[in-house]
Amino acid sequence: MSPYARRRATNAVVLSLSLAATAIGLLWLGLILWTLLWHGLGAINLDLFTLQTPAPNSHGGLSNAIYGSIVMTVVATIVGSPIGILAGTFLAEYGRHSPVAPVIRFINDILLSAPSIIVGLFIYDLMVIPMGGFSAWAGAMALAILVIPVVVRTTEDMLNLVPNSLREAAAALGAPKWKVIVMVTYRAALQGMLTGVMLAVARISGETAPLLFTALNNQFWDQGGILHAMSNPMANLPVVIFQFALSPYQDWQSLAWGGALLITATILILNISARLLVSWKGFAK
Amino acid sequence: MVEPASTAPAASGHAPHLAPAAPTPVVVPAEAEKIQIRDLNFYYKKFHALKGINLSLYDKRVTAFIGPSGCGKSTLLRILNRIYQLYPDQRAVGEVVVDGRNILDPGIDLNLLRAKIGMVFQKPTPFPMSIYDNVAFGIRLYEKLSATDLDERVESAIRRAALWDEVKDKLKQSGLSLSGGQQQRLCIARAVAVKPEILLLDEPASALDPISTQRIEELITELKTDYCIVIVTHNMQQAARSSDYTAFMYLGELIEFDNTEKIFTHPKNRRTEDYITGRFG
Repeated sequence: MSPYARRRATNAVVLSLSLAATAIGLLWLGLILWTLLWHGLGAINLDLFTLQTPAPNSHGGLSNAIYGSIVMTVVATIVGSPIGILAGTFLAEYGRHSPVAPVIRFINDILLSAPSIIVGLFIYDLMVIPMGGFSAWAGAMALAILVIPVVVRTTEDMLNLVPNSLREAAAALGAPKWKVIVMVTYRAALQGMLTGVMLAVARISGETAPLLFTALNNQFWDQGGILHAMSNPMANLPVVIFQFALSPYQDWQSLAWGGALLITATILILNISARLLVSWKGFAK
Repeated sequence: MVEPASTAPAASGHAPHLAPAAPTPVVVPAEAEKIQIRDLNFYYKKFHALKGINLSLYDKRVTAFIGPSGCGKSTLLRILNRIYQLYPDQRAVGEVVVDGRNILDPGIDLNLLRAKIGMVFQKPTPFPMSIYDNVAFGIRLYEKLSATDLDERVESAIRRAALWDEVKDKLKQSGLSLSGGQQQRLCIARAVAVKPEILLLDEPASALDPISTQRIEELITELKTDYCIVIVTHNMQQAARSSDYTAFMYLGELIEFDNTEKIFTHPKNRRTEDYITGRFG
């Protein structure tokens, strides 16, 4: 075989192997999505969003679980994002030459990949035991701890992408450093920073382990208003799915699939929106 | 002070009498020294980038810094508003006296200094906000103006930058939506809006097409009636066209400083002549 023919053969072999590997990887993703749709689509109806979690063998929905997930996610984001943004700002703007910065980055990376069950256990010890019971506040705090490292990482990366020439131009007009950051650098990086927050939300949407130790679950709808509800255990999608999927009841199992489909769709939409947001040219104003 | 390179430094500290600029229709004000640079040395970490610079820059005149790449002209310019201070490994030693105060003094308020000494960079850098907000940014930093006063200041700054007719109907649009030449004029408008006393221009037209370059040069000639202007340029012809004084630098040293006309027709130093005639560059 001529050298050229041999190279073409090698190329063809490797190309086929790469395509096969890609197909195998995508196959599992496809199977998961298909399974979710197959089992879960049947449970998606108006009742899912309006009725509460039912007793075994009776009809119901997931409204309290959806509500609980949304509430805890929002509180976690409100608590965790400012901390993450400020830390990311420090790393990118103030601490570039500081010896503390690499240490902070390292710790942040560890926190980023920490098993979330440990975070749950930590909050259990810190909040649940002293407070004498499970609560949505504890759940939100556990989720906030998971939000922080994601936001730190993306904020720092996005701020680093802003060219120095922009900072110099603002400084050359006599703007003090904090104004350069808030009025110019943040504006330039805003799209990316928002994307980071969205990715953090997507991350915590499916977390079950931390909530098991903190918010647990609640089959009833609290009638005393949101603040009262937050001091008690609160229903949430992941834990409800956990409970219902392992049960022997048909109704519960179908609701679990519906909930799983809901979570997956939410995360998918969040991720796609995040990508679209970053590349949307119409944002700069 | 002015240092003819081929002779010993002047014994006294007087400004030498230089021939007045070529006759113009405008009454030329008496020459006043705006900036005096005395024995200035600059270091990037251990690298000695500027060596013993002595120079005077005159008010209401344009001074051009020319020289081959790496000679230190941008470095020298960036000392004048201490923008190098944003980076920790760079330091300046010596004196730069502006209106009687040494601006290298550690007690100087950097932000107020930079509000008095404006800078336009090589690459146009409009802020990610509307055209109006871009120009108003510097004004809002230090002055509290009513809405009408602010509108007036913004308009007059944009007019001075010869940009008004092109943007008057779209002040609310993003500054990033303008062309390169327009963005650079926007940056100039932004710099003059705060009414600085000194304008530093670091190769302002090098990223622009010839038509925009010409407009910027015309602008500089108009602006010099009010400001002390220092311009760094790679383009010798631009220096010859636009400036009153020229400083030629090479490898971190000031080789020659004189009237632009003299530098380009009868340079005193051999290296200046070689550079001007293109024997190296």
